[in-house]
Amino acid sequence: MSKLIDRIIPDPVRCITGISAYEAEGGFRALKKAARAGPDFVIEEIVRAGLRGRGGAGFPTGRKWAAVAEDTATPKYIICNADEGEPGTFKDRLILEKNPFLLIEGMALAAFTVKAGVGYIYLRGEYPALFHLLEDVIAQCRKKGYIGPDFMGTGADLELYVHRGAGAYICGEETAMIESLEGKRGQPRSRPPYTVNYGYMGKPTLASNVETFANVPIILNIGAESYSKIGSPESPGPKLFSVSGDVVRPGVYELPMGVPLSEIIYEHCGGIKGGRALKAVIPGGVSTAVLRSDDLACRMDFTSKCEGSMGIIGSGAVIVFDEETCMVHTAYRIAKFFAHESCGKCTPCREGTDWIRAILLRMEQGLGVEDDIRLLREVCGNIAGNSFCALGDSAAISTIGFLDKFGDEFEAHIKGKTCPFGGPV
Amino acid sequence: MDQVELTINGKKVKAPRTSSILKAALDNGIYIPKLCWDRRLTPYGGCRLCLVEMEGQRKLFASCSTPVKDGMEINTESDRIARARKSVLELLLVNHPLDCPICDKAGECELQDLAFKYGPSASRFKGERKQAPEVTTAPLLERNPNRCILCGKCVRICGEHQGVGAIDLIGRGYDTEVSPAFEESLDCEFCGQCVDVCPVGALGSKPFRFRSRAWYMEEKNTVCPYCGCGCTVTLGISEGKIIRSVGTDGVGLSKGDLCGRGRFGVDYVHSDKRLTKPLIRKDGKLQEATWEEATAYISENLKAVIDSSGPEAVGAIGSQRCTVEDNYMLQKFMREAVGTNNIDSLAALGYSKAQKGIKQAFGLDTLPIDYNSPLTSDSILVVESDITSTHPVWGLKLYAALRDFGATLTVIDPKLTKLSRHASEWLRNTPGTAVAVLNGMMRTILDEGIHDKDAESHPGFAELKSKLEEYTPEKVEGLTGIHPDRLKDAARKFAAAERPLACMTLGANENNKSTDTVLATANLLMLVGAGADALEIPAELTNTIGMFEAGIRPDAGPSHTPLEKPGLGLVEMFYGENSPVKAMFIMGENPVVSFPQAEVVEGTLKGLDLLVVQDLMLSDTAKLAHVVLPAASWGEKEGTVVGASGQPQKVIKCIEQTGESVPDWQIFRNLARFMQKDTGLGTLESLQQEIEGKVSFEFDSSKATPQFNPVDLTMAEETDKEYPLKMVTGNLMQHSGSLTTLSKGLESVVSDAIVQMNKADAKVLEIGDEGYIKVASRRGEITLKAKVTDEVPEGMLYVPSHFPHARVHLLTYPSANGAVSIVAVKVEKA
Repeated sequence: MSKLIDRIIPDPVRCITGISAYEAEGGFRALKKAARAGPDFVIEEIVRAGLRGRGGAGFPTGRKWAAVAEDTATPKYIICNADEGEPGTFKDRLILEKNPFLLIEGMALAAFTVKAGVGYIYLRGEYPALFHLLEDVIAQCRKKGYIGPDFMGTGADLELYVHRGAGAYICGEETAMIESLEGKRGQPRSRPPYTVNYGYMGKPTLASNVETFANVPIILNIGAESYSKIGSPESPGPKLFSVSGDVVRPGVYELPMGVPLSEIIYEHCGGIKGGRALKAVIPGGVSTAVLRSDDLACRMDFTSKCEGSMGIIGSGAVIVFDEETCMVHTAYRIAKFFAHESCGKCTPCREGTDWIRAILLRMEQGLGVEDDIRLLREVCGNIAGNSFCALGDSAAISTIGFLDKFGDEFEAHIKGKTCPFGGPV
Repeated sequence: MDQVELTINGKKVKAPRTSSILKAALDNGIYIPKLCWDRRLTPYGGCRLCLVEMEGQRKLFASCSTPVKDGMEINTESDRIARARKSVLELLLVNHPLDCPICDKAGECELQDLAFKYGPSASRFKGERKQAPEVTTAPLLERNPNRCILCGKCVRICGEHQGVGAIDLIGRGYDTEVSPAFEESLDCEFCGQCVDVCPVGALGSKPFRFRSRAWYMEEKNTVCPYCGCGCTVTLGISEGKIIRSVGTDGVGLSKGDLCGRGRFGVDYVHSDKRLTKPLIRKDGKLQEATWEEATAYISENLKAVIDSSGPEAVGAIGSQRCTVEDNYMLQKFMREAVGTNNIDSLAALGYSKAQKGIKQAFGLDTLPIDYNSPLTSDSILVVESDITSTHPVWGLKLYAALRDFGATLTVIDPKLTKLSRHASEWLRNTPGTAVAVLNGMMRTILDEGIHDKDAESHPGFAELKSKLEEYTPEKVEGLTGIHPDRLKDAARKFAAAERPLACMTLGANENNKSTDTVLATANLLMLVGAGADALEIPAELTNTIGMFEAGIRPDAGPSHTPLEKPGLGLVEMFYGENSPVKAMFIMGENPVVSFPQAEVVEGTLKGLDLLVVQDLMLSDTAKLAHVVLPAASWGEKEGTVVGASGQPQKVIKCIEQTGESVPDWQIFRNLARFMQKDTGLGTLESLQQEIEGKVSFEFDSSKATPQFNPVDLTMAEETDKEYPLKMVTGNLMQHSGSLTTLSKGLESVVSDAIVQMNKADAKVLEIGDEGYIKVASRRGEITLKAKVTDEVPEGMLYVPSHFPHARVHLLTYPSANGAVSIVAVKVEKA
C-alpha cells in the first residue's frame, strides 16, 4: 500500500506539489469514494473513526461536520485554520509544504459533505512562500476538476481562496479568525451562537485545523475501523508532534496518538543535547502547563492528564528545556508572548497578562519581592475562567504551571535578588 | 413572544427567549454592574464585570452575552463574584490616571461608582500612570486615552448603531486605543453619541469641558427644538445657563438617542446675538424702545393699514419652531382681532405639499409617522430623501430595520447618503425624477400582474393604468438613468413585500420633491396593497404638525376647520403680483434667508407699510422691519409641541428669559389688549384650555379613503445649454436652519454653504477641491466654496440653503404646486 494512503506526511524529504504525483500515489481516492457513497457515509465514517480536532481543543470532528451539514441555512462555508502561530508549533507548515493536496482533498470532502460552496484557507501571514504554493495547488486542483463547479461530478461546487493573516495570534481562535476574514478587527466573538450555525457572514461554517482536514482522506482510505485502531481508543489516529528545544533531533514527527512523552523525546528525538539532563517539557504548546522530568511517562492524547495539570497534548508542540535553562526566564518569555498577543477585548486578559509579564520580568531581574508569588497566583486566578476566550486562560495556566512545578527557582530569584542562571534579561 | 422562566437571586422571572441574563435581570429590577453593555448594542462581553454564577456550573458567566434558558438558576451577588469584580476594577485602575478632580465625568462616572461599590481602595500593582496626550484636534469632541477603559461602546455605537464607523480600536492588548483610521483627526457626523455612552471621562464634549461639576448641575428633560423627531433632551443647567444636552437611556420617543443638533446645537439660546429689547425704526434706523412704545407703534400703524385697506391687507407668518400656544395665539389675533385669514408659514413650501398629497391620496388632513414602523417592515423604500440628515434619530430606525430586522432597504436617490450607502438596493436616479422611477415601478407591477387586486376598486385605477402606459422601462431609463432590469427588480421585490413602507421627507428647503412625488409614492403603496399607514413622511420641524393643528394655514382654522373665505397663502403674499398685503407679522421666521427667490422676498418686505418681526436675534428679515420684538426662546418658555409622530409633548421653562424677551403668544395677547380687543386668554392655562377644546391631536389613519392620483414627472424649470447643471438644495446633518447657525458648537463643525459637485463636472470647469465658484441661475449669482466629490452624480450640485451669508436663495424660486423646483444653474471658477 502506498504511504500516501495512510500517512499525513508520507515522505519527510519529498514535497508533493504536482498534482500528477499526488494522483499517481493514490491521491483523491478518498474523494472519489465519497462522491460515490454520499455525504452521510463520510460523516458516519468520521464519527466511527473517532477523529478529534487537531487544533488543540480535541472536539469530535464528526459532530462538527454533522452540525454544519444539518443546518438548513445557505450559503455555507468551510474554513481551514492555517494560522499556526503558537511558539513551538510548526506541524501545519509541514503538511502544507510536503503534502498540500491532502489538505485540499480534505476540504473538498468537507465541502461535499456539508454542502459548502466556498472555502477559505486562513494562512499565517508569516508563511508567504506557502501562500504562493497553495495558490498554485488550488489552481491545479481546479484545472483537474477536483474543486470548482460540479467538482468530480458530485453536483457540489467549491471555490477555494487563500487569505493571509496579518500577524495576530488571536486570529487562530476560531471566531476571531472569522471576524478577521470578514474584514473586521481580529477579536473573538461571544458564543453561543456557535460557528457551525453562525460563522462566516453569519452563515453555517465548518472551521477546522489543517491537520484535521488532512486526517479525513486517511480515514476514508483505510476505513474507520482500521483508523480507530491507531493510537489511543478515545482519541485515535496519527498525530504530528513538532518538537523543539534542547533535543538532539528537533522536528516534526508523525506518531500514533497516545505515544508516551518520554518515547518522543528519547527514542525519536535522540534525547537531550550535549548529554545534559532534562529539566522541563512544555508538552502541547505554550498554552499547556509545563512538566518536569518525572512526568514524562504520560501519554500524549486528548484524555491523558498529568498530575496537577489540565490537558497536555494541545497542538502537539513539545518544547524541551535542559538543566541549564532558567524557568523564571522561560515563564517570562511565554508571559510576554501572551501579553503581546492579547487582543485587548476583555479586561482580565488585556490588563492581567501585562501584569503577569511585568511581575515575572522584575523577578527575573532580581527585583522581585516576597509577596510577588502570591500576587502572581492571585492575578492568574482572576484571569483564569473570567476572561473572554482561552487566551487569557492559557496565560494563567502557563504561569501557574511554572509556579507549581518550579516554585523553588522563583523563590531563589527573590531571595538571591538575581537570576542564578546568569540572567537578568 | 416566546418566553422562558428562570430564577435570579431566588426570584422567578420571565424573559424573552432571545434575552441575555443581564437584560432579564435589568428588566426585573435586578442590578448587575457592567461597563461595556448598552441596550442598543450587540453584547460585547469585554469588561467582565457582569459575571454571575450559574447553578450547576463551575465557572462564572458574563451575563451580558449569555442567553437565558428555561429553569436557569442565576446568582448575581456572592463573595466569589464580588472578588472577581473587585479584581477587574483593580486591573482597570492600575494605569488609570485617577485624575477625577479635573475630570468632567467625576460624579457621574461609572468606574468611579463601581470602584466605590466593590472596592478596591488602592491597587496592589504599582503601575505607571498612562500619560498619552489628549486628542483635541477635532471640533466638539475630545479624547483622553489615559482614562479609557477600552469598553468599546463608542466604537460600537458609532459603527453598529449610527452606521458611521468613524472610530475603531487600534493596536492590541494593553496598547489598544480608540482612534479614527490611521490616527487621523476625527471626521464624522459629530452626533456625540460616543460621549453619551462613554462610561468614564475618556470621551468628552468640548463645549462642556470644565463648565461644571456634575453634582452642581440641575438636570431637566424637555423636547429638542430642532427637527420633527421630537427627541427628549436632558439639559444640564448651571447658574441659569444650559451648559449641556444629553440623551437619557429609555426616556422619551428617542429612548436616549440624540443627534449633533440636539446635543451640541442648543447653545443658540445663549447666543450673544440675542435681542434683549424691542426695536423701532426711527429716522430709518432700528432703535431700542420700551414694550409700551413698541406695542403702541404697532397698534397705531396696524389700525392705519386696516382703516385704509381693510383687514385683508394684513398678513402673518407662523412658525414650525414656536409652540402650539404661540401659533394658536397668532392665528387667533389675526382672525379675531384683525379679521384676516392671510396666515401661512414656510411649511407652505415644505410639509404642506406633503399634506396636500396625503389629503388627495387618502383624504386625511394629517398623517403622523408611526415611529417604530420601520422595525416591523420587511421592505422599505426611501424616496429621494436624506432622512438621516433631516431626521437623524428617526433615520436610525431605518438603519436598524436593515441591520437587525432583515428588512430590504431600497433607496432612490442621486446623492450618496448614509442610507444609500447602506441600502440593499441603491437606485441612483437623475435628481428630482423620483416620480418617473415610481411610475416605472408601478408599470412593471401592473404589467406583471403582481399588484394587489383589491386596489383595482380604488377610484382612479383606470386613469392610473392609462397614465402609466407611457412609462415604459426604456422611457424611465431615459428620464432617470436607471437601467430597466434594476427598475423591474426593485418593483418586483417591493410588490412581494408583506409589510412595505415608503419613507420620504418634504422640508421647505428640499427642492427635489413635491406634492406629485407624494402622490406617486402613495399610488405605488396602494398598488401593492398598502395603505396610509405605510407612508411615512416625517414632518419637518419640532412643531410642524402642532402648528398646522393650531390653524396656521390660509384656508383652514384650528384642527383644519374649513373657512368660508380663505385668505392668501405665502406664495400669494410674497410672490403674487399686486399682493394687497401692506402689513405683515413674522413670527420666528427669516424669509430673506429661508424663502426662495430672495430678491423678490426682499422687495415684498421693503414695500410693506408695517413689518413686525418677532425673533431671537436681529435676522436679515428683522433688519428690514419697522418693529422688532424680542421673543423668548425654547427653554425660556413653557408650551406644547407636536412633531412628526403626532404626539403632543410639553416643553418646559428651564432658564430665565433673555433680557426683556417674552413668549410669542404673550406678544399677541398684549397687542390685542392694547388694541382693546382682548382675547380673554390671559394665562397660559386659559390658552391651553381653549386649545384643548378646539384641537384634538388625535389622528386616525384608519379613516383613510384611498384614491389613485396619476401624476407625470414635471420640472418647474429645465436645464439648457446655458444653465446645464441641476442645483438641489437641502440641509446638512449639522445644520437645519437659522437656529443652528447661531450655535457656536455646530458652527465649529460646518459654518459655510459648501457646494458639492461631481469630479467630472469640476474637471471640465477646472475647479479644484475647496476652490471658489460662481453659481448663477436665471435669477441671480452667488459665490460659494466647492467640494469636489463623487457623492453627487455628474450634472448635479448640492448645496445647503440656510447659511445667511451664502444667500443661496438668490438663485431659487418658489413652487407650491406639484412640480419639482430644482434650479438650473451654470458654474464657473470664481
